[in-house]
Amino acid sequence: MTSTQARSTGVISGLARARKGVGLGGRGEQSPRPRRRFSYRSVTLAALVLPSAILVALIYGYPAVDALIESLHNGNLVQTGMFVGLQNYSIDFHNPVFWQSAEFTVLYCIVGVFGSWIVGLGLALLLRQKIHTPGLFKTLLLLPWIVPVVVTATAWKWLIATPASWVPRLTEDLGLGQVLFLTTPGLAKTIVCLYKVWLSFPFMMLMASAALAGVPDDIYEAARVDGASAWQQFRGITLPMIARSTYISWILMFIFCIGDFQSIYLLTGGGPVNSTSTLIVLSYETVFGNFQTGPGIAIGFVMMVVSVLISVVLFRRIRKVQIA
Amino acid sequence: MKTRATSDRAGLSRRRFLAAAGAGAVLPIVLDACSSGGSSGSSGGGGGKSGTISFWDGEVGTGQLNTEAKKLTAAYKDGNIKGSYNLMTGNDYEIIEAALAANKGPTVAGGYAYQAFQFADQGDILYADNVVAAMKKNGVYADYLPGLFDQLKNSKGYVAIPYGVDTRALWYNKKLLTQAGVAVPTDWNSFMAACKALKKIGKYGYVTAANSSNSAYGTHTLAAFMINNGGGMFDETGKADCLFDRNVEAVEYLLEMSKNKYIDPGSVSYIDTDVYTALKSGRVGMALANPTIPQETGGTPTNTDFAVMSPIKSPHGTTGTIQYLKNYQMYTNTPSKAASEKFLQWWNQQFVGAKGFYSQGITGAVPIRKSAIALPQVQADPNLVKIIKEWVPVAKPESARYAHIFSGLATVDNGTPMVQCIQSILQGNTTAKAALQTLQTGIQQYGASYKA
Repeated sequence: MTSTQARSTGVISGLARARKGVGLGGRGEQSPRPRRRFSYRSVTLAALVLPSAILVALIYGYPAVDALIESLHNGNLVQTGMFVGLQNYSIDFHNPVFWQSAEFTVLYCIVGVFGSWIVGLGLALLLRQKIHTPGLFKTLLLLPWIVPVVVTATAWKWLIATPASWVPRLTEDLGLGQVLFLTTPGLAKTIVCLYKVWLSFPFMMLMASAALAGVPDDIYEAARVDGASAWQQFRGITLPMIARSTYISWILMFIFCIGDFQSIYLLTGGGPVNSTSTLIVLSYETVFGNFQTGPGIAIGFVMMVVSVLISVVLFRRIRKVQIA
Repeated sequence: MKTRATSDRAGLSRRRFLAAAGAGAVLPIVLDACSSGGSSGSSGGGGGKSGTISFWDGEVGTGQLNTEAKKLTAAYKDGNIKGSYNLMTGNDYEIIEAALAANKGPTVAGGYAYQAFQFADQGDILYADNVVAAMKKNGVYADYLPGLFDQLKNSKGYVAIPYGVDTRALWYNKKLLTQAGVAVPTDWNSFMAACKALKKIGKYGYVTAANSSNSAYGTHTLAAFMINNGGGMFDETGKADCLFDRNVEAVEYLLEMSKNKYIDPGSVSYIDTDVYTALKSGRVGMALANPTIPQETGGTPTNTDFAVMSPIKSPHGTTGTIQYLKNYQMYTNTPSKAASEKFLQWWNQQFVGAKGFYSQGITGAVPIRKSAIALPQVQADPNLVKIIKEWVPVAKPESARYAHIFSGLATVDNGTPMVQCIQSILQGNTTAKAALQTLQTGIQQYGASYKA
């Protein structure tokens, strides 16, 4: 064994001992003691956690279990109905509108999450520069997030939906023809996604601003001294340093997007011809528009499972970032 | 079901919990009902002699009607039975459904015909046969326009009693038609010609609203033109039959209007209020809409730019439109069936009788009682009179070729298949048969045909 290897072995051994608490002030390696099944401490902890656990179970667990049961029956909102197994899921999976809605939900979430993140991060970086009245800019930029969706969606419709709206009149005056943005599937999808980005970027900007505030300036100074370009600094310092916050904001925005009913319902209602229908809009329409309670709740349950799976994947990424 | 029965005894059934957690909209009404003693629950129920008749009413017009209705209900007293009024602000069906899930439903409620059949299928409705029998006996029944009561009957009896109709009629802008130099349309050809003339002066011939939410006029247009042509989505046995020849002709007609750009291109994304805006702005000449267009466009019944045309004739010489029957329903949540029946008879006489609100000039629906129609307040409105005389007699529910209403119509009415069908027609990028096949498939998928 070389002296370096010996030193390394010594360090590792020391770390292992430290982990076990051996050292100055530590309790040392503990002798095996007979384990009591319920210690006073564990019972106290359980008692403290219990109210919250019950609350969570009632608020989240109960509806989830109830939704699962409903999705396996052919009842309505008042009566459970007959047990039909997976028939409601089969109805949904054989419905082309379900897959059309699923496809748009994916698009809506991707554009909503990453579109708003790019715009939000960009603005957060800009606001780090020395500008006059940054507070005023921040406040103005937060408006889309602060103003109720029903107001902003109505305002957007007022601007674009009818031949008398400002934007169609403008396009007509510019010789581009009368463009009615919510009347064709392609344009309606674009507008709905743009609206979501516009609505959500302030949240991303806030998250990014908070994360950027925690990145020390001296790291950038050191990088600049070493000749790193702005892009290299962004890729090598900024992104890794705000990675944890970024993943959290992605998870939150994904949850906001997949559960966003009001934006779409107010703008297009899911039309034209279901082109902007997401799964949550379809779920609502199936239950309350078409009175198909079982299939509608089945859609909701599928959404919940997918949301949980995606959130778990992203949370695992966060853990990896923390460990790194 | 064992589980359910057990939890019901515990006082917090799964459904009650779900309803309490999910039905925010119904909470104020439920609280109000609780504070006023509820109905049967607090009064001993099951034939008890005290309690509250909880009357739930929908929003009507400017709210004047609701204010008067509230006063009237509060004044009700029959021994120890009193009345309480609750205004439903939102979707009546959703509110009542959620309340029923919480076992806090109304005793008597106003609503549309399909709703009564839905709740009757669920076992929540008290049949109104005794009320109808009493009305026949005291002569009130004869005061109604013919045929309306029968529409509200299923194999077990009358699910409700009617109080008004909501008829879709064709309206036109008098000034615009004059400006375009065309006469008021009388048939499909002249209707198309009027659209063409309006286009020549830079206006749209027709507007409707086919947004997937908050719109109904688009699907009404689809149903009305089918019915007008002697068609309808169901055959004579109540089975979905969308590809019926007359329906294909009607959709081809609408497609032609759409392809010729006679229809306001925003219609596919409009909500109903956009129709009023379009009419008011003077950029559209005609629309199929409800009887209150003068008020919705900022006028009054006697001072308006809009007028109702006579029902236009189809190429087969038929006429028709779509109509919804407004009615009062009695629910199982009651101090006693007799108390509910007594209240309903009293309310019906007060509200829709000739001495009722119509005589005060307050009209929430097209009247269906001859004594109310004869009132000078009603006769003073020329468009309303025209609707009563010419449109109501040829109007039908969405079951159309099938003589009766059934609960499946609630699924069809403005449901996804109908919305999808009219949206594809308004976009003009489909064929009549393809659009109707989508509708047929949707109706079959949702099992919305009549079930005996």
